[in-house]
Amino acid sequence: MLDGLSQLGSAFAGFMTPGTLVNVLWATFLGIVIGALPGLTATMGVALMTTLTFTMPHNQAILVLVCIYVGAIYGGSRSAILLNIPGTPASACSTLDGFPLARQGLAGRAMGISTSGSWLGTLFGTLCVALFTPLLSEAALSFQSYEFFWIGVFGIVIAGTLAGGDPLKGYIAGFLGLWIATIGQEPHYNYHRFTYGWADLSGGIGLLPALVGVFGVAEVLTAMRGPAYRVTSKAVDSILPRIGDVLKYWRTILRSGAIGTFIGVLPGLGEDTAAWSSYAAARRASKEKEKFGKGSIEGLMSAETGESACVPGAIIPVLTLAVPGSAPAAALMAAMMIHDLRPGPMLMVETPQFFYQIIAMLVIADMSKLLFGLTLVRPLLWILLVPRERLMPIIFVLCTVGAFAITQRVFDIYVMLFFGLFGFVLRELKFPMPPLILGLVLGELLEQNLTRGLVISSGDVTPFFTRPVSGVLAAITILSILWSIPPAQRKIRAGARGLFGRRQRTA
Amino acid sequence: MSEPEAQSVLPHEQKLPPRVDLWTAAVFLAAGAAIIYAAWVMPTFREQLGQAYTAPGLVPALYGTIIAILALWLAARSLGRGALKRGAGGPPRARREGYSNVRLVLAAALCLGFAVGMVTRLPFWLATAIFVFLFILIFEWRREQSWRARLRPIVTAALLAGITGLLVVLVFERVFLVRLP
Repeated sequence: MLDGLSQLGSAFAGFMTPGTLVNVLWATFLGIVIGALPGLTATMGVALMTTLTFTMPHNQAILVLVCIYVGAIYGGSRSAILLNIPGTPASACSTLDGFPLARQGLAGRAMGISTSGSWLGTLFGTLCVALFTPLLSEAALSFQSYEFFWIGVFGIVIAGTLAGGDPLKGYIAGFLGLWIATIGQEPHYNYHRFTYGWADLSGGIGLLPALVGVFGVAEVLTAMRGPAYRVTSKAVDSILPRIGDVLKYWRTILRSGAIGTFIGVLPGLGEDTAAWSSYAAARRASKEKEKFGKGSIEGLMSAETGESACVPGAIIPVLTLAVPGSAPAAALMAAMMIHDLRPGPMLMVETPQFFYQIIAMLVIADMSKLLFGLTLVRPLLWILLVPRERLMPIIFVLCTVGAFAITQRVFDIYVMLFFGLFGFVLRELKFPMPPLILGLVLGELLEQNLTRGLVISSGDVTPFFTRPVSGVLAAITILSILWSIPPAQRKIRAGARGLFGRRQRTA
Repeated sequence: MSEPEAQSVLPHEQKLPPRVDLWTAAVFLAAGAAIIYAAWVMPTFREQLGQAYTAPGLVPALYGTIIAILALWLAARSLGRGALKRGAGGPPRARREGYSNVRLVLAAALCLGFAVGMVTRLPFWLATAIFVFLFILIFEWRREQSWRARLRPIVTAALLAGITGLLVVLVFERVFLVRLP
């Protein structure tokens, strides 16, 4: 305990240098701007900055990325409140009550609620990272190939089921991502799969160019196709958060923080699911249900707390299992790998100080976000006034640089373009993107552990189902799939009701 | 002008006609079948004492099979929703206000032109400046404007393009030490 606190203290002290603090300030500001501008997402911000910070020392680079991530998720609420357009998908829920508040002349108060909710949410999530990561990491050390295989499958299925939209299309996107991950040299015989003599493909599809394509290029195309946005209100009242709001809704804050962190831990779901789930739970429990959707302070607080608590939550599975909890966390995980850190159960063994550094990074980013949240109102309004016709070509240039920078291959620019166009078409066909990206991330883990497990058991598949953790993960995965089939879902509900009813009677 | 309506970015808000899903299913079924075939013809390395479970085609074949099964599920569901019935293509979809496919095609063409046509052929700062200039000019072009009125947007676009070209090189090459294409 004392050793942990001392390591945490050292981590904080290590970041208290002028150069680091300058990095924190510009990165958080940039994150908030990226989040606030409709069409730019946290994933794109983290993916782009990953390629641009890889010459920095690893702790500085990851700090910059954490600040971008934390800032972008918060920044999305600014455009949600002022434009009625979510800056990032995570802020879609904040439009429901944020914009009505702005129309009532309470834009400043709405931003204050957003700032306090988001700040507390990230703080709550960070506390969960500190408490649960070591426990989960220790448990994960006992996992074998069978368990890791099921964690991969579970991630794809749960992301498909809950990522928003049609679960069936989510599964297809997830398995498509897994297949794309098999392109290139395979691990056992160095055989080139699906390359057809194209040497550039033998190294496989890079995660970052694909991420920049799906979340950058596709967003540029979507933004240029859609209608122009305009600022609804330039008059802003006081943005100082009110202590009364926080004290009045402390239950909502705690509940949303817990839901947001939990959703973050589940692979591939991310901040938008966290915000909607927190909002729905707050509405169910509220005494002022009728105000939801019409400018409810509680509603906005719940959405903001939930989405911001999800950020640290999504980092927990990265640190413990090497499975990202959200799309931006996938980019963050890729950045850790680029900097020779090994996310997963061995991280706490090989580089325990990095775990404390991550906690320090999250707290510092959260504080920086609070500072900007209280001061940056007018400058953000000006930024929101930049027409997309002038912004989007610059974003595309940054995407091109970002895709090229890591391996310096023109081929990666083509990968980015392909995934941009492909991602755009899939989105138009209502395929969710998080499972596709998760498939790409988890492909290697899944294949290696499946084949290793089969080799260890000499082709016997029973250990995949009979080992306790494997069995539980397999059961949850199968239940999740059944849940997405309406007749099966009805039977499960009826069965659960019967079980619950009988228990009540026996009690 | 009316107040902007609430917009959501969640992909499930607007349903697609079942026939579109049927076509999508057909494409994914073909893709699944192609993956299975490509995996089937991969070597098994038995002559190198390779085991069946380490054959390079095993895992892709598994994914191909699952994609094909899911595509069949999607096809069956869209058929159940009346994909083959007359009018299953759905009623003509209401035009979404402010959306433009012309802008989409123009933006895609400009982006492709920059990334494929200019990036490796011209110095990066010049390629960037030309791309940004063309992008701004084309999208801010107003037919009804006189040439005199157009002068200002042209100069603005040229200035922004020049500054972007210079800044990109300065910031990335000098500050982030990143090599540019």
